[in-house]
Parts: sequence; C-alpha cells; structure tokens
Amino acid sequence: MEIGSGVRIGPFEVFAPLQPAVSMVRHYGEHHFPGRLIVVEGIDGSGKSTQLSLLHKWLESKGYGVVFSEWNSSPLVKDTTKHGKKKKLLTPATFSLIHSTDFADRTERSILPLLKAGAVVLCDRYVYTAFARDVARGMDRAWVRELYAFAVKPAIAFYFRVPLETAIHRLLDGRDGFKFYEAGMDLNLADDSVESFRLFQGRILAEYEKMIPEFGLTVVDATLPIEIQQMQVRQIVKAHLDKAKELRVQA
Amino acid sequence: MRETYGRLLPEMRLGDLAGKLIVIEGTDGAGRSTQIDLLKPWLEELGHAVVDTGMTRSPLAGDGIRRAKEGNNLGRVTQALFYATDFVDRLENEIVPALRAGFIVLTDRYIYSLMARAIVRGMDPRWIRSIYSVALKPDAVFYLRLGIDQLLPRVVFSRGFDYWESGMDLYPGHDMFDSFCSYQSALLTEFDRLSAEFNFQMVDAAADARTVCAHLQQNILHLLERDSRKSYMSRLYNDSTTAPQPADAALFAVATPATTPSTNGNGHHHHAAHSGD
Repeated sequence: MEIGSGVRIGPFEVFAPLQPAVSMVRHYGEHHFPGRLIVVEGIDGSGKSTQLSLLHKWLESKGYGVVFSEWNSSPLVKDTTKHGKKKKLLTPATFSLIHSTDFADRTERSILPLLKAGAVVLCDRYVYTAFARDVARGMDRAWVRELYAFAVKPAIAFYFRVPLETAIHRLLDGRDGFKFYEAGMDLNLADDSVESFRLFQGRILAEYEKMIPEFGLTVVDATLPIEIQQMQVRQIVKAHLDKAKELRVQA
Repeated sequence: MRETYGRLLPEMRLGDLAGKLIVIEGTDGAGRSTQIDLLKPWLEELGHAVVDTGMTRSPLAGDGIRRAKEGNNLGRVTQALFYATDFVDRLENEIVPALRAGFIVLTDRYIYSLMARAIVRGMDPRWIRSIYSVALKPDAVFYLRLGIDQLLPRVVFSRGFDYWESGMDLYPGHDMFDSFCSYQSALLTEFDRLSAEFNFQMVDAAADARTVCAHLQQNILHLLERDSRKSYMSRLYNDSTTAPQPADAALFAVATPATTPSTNGNGHHHHAAHSGD
C-alpha cells in the first residue's frame, strides 16, 4: 500500500488507509457488530492518549455510548503482570503471553459484548502494540500475530507517528528515567535507561512503520499542534460513524 | 538433537539438553499424580536427578490462575492464554534448565491437556497448536487412559464435583453430573485424537496403581537404555551381574568416583519394577 496518497482535510494531508485492515480473525470473524471499535497506537510520548481522551469527550457530547479500554488493565490479569514486572520474572515469551491474556480478558469481558451492544469502544493501544513490542523483544513475527488471532478488527486504527527524540523529550520532561520493561532493560541493550529506551523504542518504531501498510493504520502526524491532530481525528471518525446507522445515539 | 513443535523461543538453545522429558498425560482422576509420586523416588534411587512439574506451578502465573478460577468468570480465550503463560514460564525457567543440567523431568500433564481443554471449549485447533509450537518434543508421553464409566466414580465419589472439572463454564444451566459427563467425554475424544498425532504410549489406567507403575517403569527403563549417558544406572539396576562396558566404565568413573557399581545396583528395586508382571 502506498502511504501519503493524499486525503486532504483542510490544509493537512492525512494518511487514511486505502485498504481495510487485514486482521487474522479466527474466532470473532469478520464481525458485523452494531458497535464500532476505534484504537490509538504509537510509542510512549506520542500523545495518543491525549487525543483519545479528547475524542472520547467529543463522542459523548454527540450522544454516542462510548466505552474506554486501556492496555494492560484486566482486573483478572493485571496483578500477575505487575508481579512479573516487579520481580523481573518476565522473558520476551512470557511478557508476550501475559499481555495477550490481559487483552483476551478485556476482549471477552468488555470489548466484544459492548460492540454487540452498539457502543463505540475506544482502546488506548491494541494488538499492534503487542506486535511492535514483542517482535522488538525477539519474538517470532508470525507467532505473535497468530497469538492475537481472536482479536476483533478495529474500524479505525490511528497511528500517532512521532520522531523518537520528540517522544523522549516529552517523556523526560517531568521525570528522571524510564521503568525497567518500558525501557527494554530486560534486553540488555544499554546500561543507561534513557539509552536503552532509545534503542528499544527505535526498534518499536521500525515495527510500527512496517505495520502501516500491513494493517492499514491511519497515520496522524503527532508533531502537529494538539488541536490540529484532534480536528483530523474527529473528521475521520465522523466520516466513519455517519455511515453507521445502527449505532446508538441519544437524542 | 532435541526439537520443538516448529518454533523456537528467543535464546532457547536446544543443543545441550541432555536430560529426559517424560510426560504423564491423562484426564482428571486418571492417577497421574499418584504415578509421579511413585516414579520420582524410584528414579532417584536409581541415581537419576528428577524434577517434577505440573500445571499452575509457575511462580509467574500460578497464583493468578488460581485467583481467576475462584470467581468462575474466566473466559475461554483468557483461560487458554493464562495457562499458556504458566506453561511457557515453566518451560523456560524450569524444564529447559533442568534438561540442560541432565535431569529427568517428570511432568504432570503437558501441552496436550491444555490443547484438549481449549479445543473442547471451541478454540481453533490451529490457533492453539500455533501457540504451543514453541514447546519441546518430549522423549515419551504416557497417556493414562480411563473410560468415562471408570472416571466418574474415581473423581466424584472421592472429592465431589468441581466446577472446572465438570466443565460448568461450558454448559451453564446443566447440573454438575450432566455437565461432567459431557465435558469429560468430549475431553476423552479429543485426547484420543491427539494420541495418534503425538505418539502417546497408551496405558490402561483402570488397572491398580502398582500395575500401572510397573508398566511405566519398564517403559522408562527402556527409554533410558537407549541413551548411553543414562543407561549405565539402569543396566546395573536391571542386572547387577552385568560387567561395565569400557565406554561405560569411563562414564561411571567420572560420575561417581567414590562408590563401586555393586553397592549402587542393589536388588530390591528390581522386585518393585516387575511386581506387576
């Protein structure tokens, strides 16, 4: 797929997908649920959470039933992940598996039933985060994709693209360093957490770039002003939701 | 050279895994843990170092799985992946290091039980096989087979119906008896299918525990015979009059310099191994 083939919204070019995201849907199939799944992706410091939160408020103000789900937040699984991180028990393989377990619980317990109920489900990070991180940790690309074959394919997957140095500046503004796994310290790339973060996130960025055509991610230039990014996001979401007549909108 | 079922985890070297991986499979109530409790001391008396492992014993995920099962609200995909996390944690941190150190690893269930449970719960067989493609191929899989008629009294009359053993997550609305029969029958069917694919050695688990154990011991001795590093002890054990072969003598001298063959190869275990013949 060619990137940058020029959908223009106002003065800005956005990279809308030219083909639908091809996900390996094995169990939930090419779903035709009444709800819509919208996800944001990007490295830490890309500003994706800020954008999603602004989108959330806007959709609510329009009367949509909106639900938010965050990466690594399953009430059933997150304590195990926390335990594994704290005790440094996680290898690339178990890091990958425990995150997929968390994601499975959120899919089964909330994402899927809510989509069936006609909600707009907003996810801060989705399977692409796992694909990027786990492969950056040395896991087999095909194995990780197959692992998440049960995931529901999102209607829109925004990728907030930002240069590494910009992200590091944003993140270090207000704190001293990075956490062990966040910086990929388990990979022994560098002794210094900032340097390790830079190397590890560099690998992750490379994986995201490969996924843009593979999954038809919608790229947003995350160096633009917050308001401009949000305007683009809303335009794209609006264009999509206007077609979705079955969504529940309160009068 | 040891193999996996198709995919290799990062930094997993297969070249120097000298130990033996022996799997005891079977449904609930087939007597797996009884057999492992008998086999472990027997192997140790023969001079083999043994590690035993089993489901939900990982330091990473064991407690989490137990907590999740308390609530009876663990979804099917979540369940399959939680168990996979537990398995891979033990594979990387327990099984592989033990094999590298030359231990015999006795495992109470392996990927086959996990695959059977997931498939019975409607997971795609290709999906679950792909996940477990990172598992090591074991040296032997003993499948303790028990029909549903024999299984029922063993499980139910000894400890009563258990929510998960009865597959109540699969058949909500059934009573536990109906659910148990449907679930365990489906598991048995799936095990039989896996048996052909993965070369299980079938053991009739309806026999009494000592008979089953004697059968397992015989097959395990046979397995160890084929490995020169492990065979010397078992040969001593089988026939204490056998003179050490020159190659074995060198091995033996390194392994146990302080003792003589005759003191290790005492005869009373010999009786135990064949008591069921």
